[in-house]
Amino acid sequence: MSEETLPKRNPDVSWRTIEGQAVLIHNRLGEIQVLNDLGTYIWEHLELGPEILARNIAQEHEVSVPDAQRDVEEFMQALRGSGALADGTD
Amino acid sequence: MDRPVAPGHFSGPLNRHGDGAFTVSVGGIAVQFSGLSEALLPAAQERYSPFLSDEPPLHTVVLYDGPEHYLDMAEDGFMRVEERDFPEGRIMVSHDFAAFWPAGASAGTLRVSVAFPLSKVLSAMENYLRWCVADLAIERGGFVLHSAGLVLEGKAYVFFGHSGAGKSTATTLSLEGRGALALSDDLVLLLREGDRFLAAATPFQGSMAQRVKEKGLCPLAGLFHLRQSAEVGTLPLARAAAVGMLLSCCPFVADPGRRSEYLLPIVEDLCRAVPVRELLFRKDPSFWDVVLKREDQP
Repeated sequence: MSEETLPKRNPDVSWRTIEGQAVLIHNRLGEIQVLNDLGTYIWEHLELGPEILARNIAQEHEVSVPDAQRDVEEFMQALRGSGALADGTD
Repeated sequence: MDRPVAPGHFSGPLNRHGDGAFTVSVGGIAVQFSGLSEALLPAAQERYSPFLSDEPPLHTVVLYDGPEHYLDMAEDGFMRVEERDFPEGRIMVSHDFAAFWPAGASAGTLRVSVAFPLSKVLSAMENYLRWCVADLAIERGGFVLHSAGLVLEGKAYVFFGHSGAGKSTATTLSLEGRGALALSDDLVLLLREGDRFLAAATPFQGSMAQRVKEKGLCPLAGLFHLRQSAEVGTLPLARAAAVGMLLSCCPFVADPGRRSEYLLPIVEDLCRAVPVRELLFRKDPSFWDVVLKREDQP
């Protein structure tokens, strides 16, 4: 995956990790998201890309790589759906 | 069609409504309105009477005549209040008023038609005051929260949640059943003082009469997120969840200007300094038993 196609955070989203959980503020929408531990790991390391994220998660959480890939993809879709990722990236 | 509004709309020859002036203080944040007409001044003073102040203002806004139309009505019927950033400062605009706060200045301009009934001009002033107090509070390490603020034995307890969560109900039950004093049933100002936080009444229009509101700043003893339930009790909240819930109840969090980047650390500090819990709440004053019991625990 080239750098251009890596998922990118929407610059309109302010965020901060508090005790291991990321709190996201969608500035224009006025909506708030609180991510769980795994979601926070993915959010904080988006620049690694889905494949490396899935491998790392599989290793850390003792799940299969395909399962981790599915979880990462589903979470990315959720982030896209909420507008937390910048448009035009996947 | 929306009228385009830029900083130039607030310069050049403008006509003041009049020469009247008064100052409102919200928890020590004093804002002066000037340029009021003879008819508007007593009406505005009456509206804000318990909050009138002689303090030197931190911010002054002057009222000038303006066009009768700025923004069209929204299709969903909700009021449109939009904020726009310019290098020269920020503009807030709605259907029938527009305001400009020049960057770094302690004075602003509010344009609203002199032909409007007083109620409409007062509404524009109220919106300006909310805008201004929200920002000045953040500069002082505080913020305005959609919440009911109640005072018992000199300590403030703040119950927050979205519309319909029970803020007004909790207020009514507390005034009648517990003899509590009320800061507000809708918007409470929270301000940092050293390593603690204080709560103050706001003069913003809700369902409570202004005269009922308890003035002054009270030490904040606890924050409770209202959740209607058949049972009464409190539940712990992870700090991130508490921060998220509080942020979602902050007015103006949707504004541009990266206000939320300032707000986030303030809310996090608040959650470190003051207990924040979920309150399982039913419509009787028994919730106070669990609220006060929590406070007794180390």
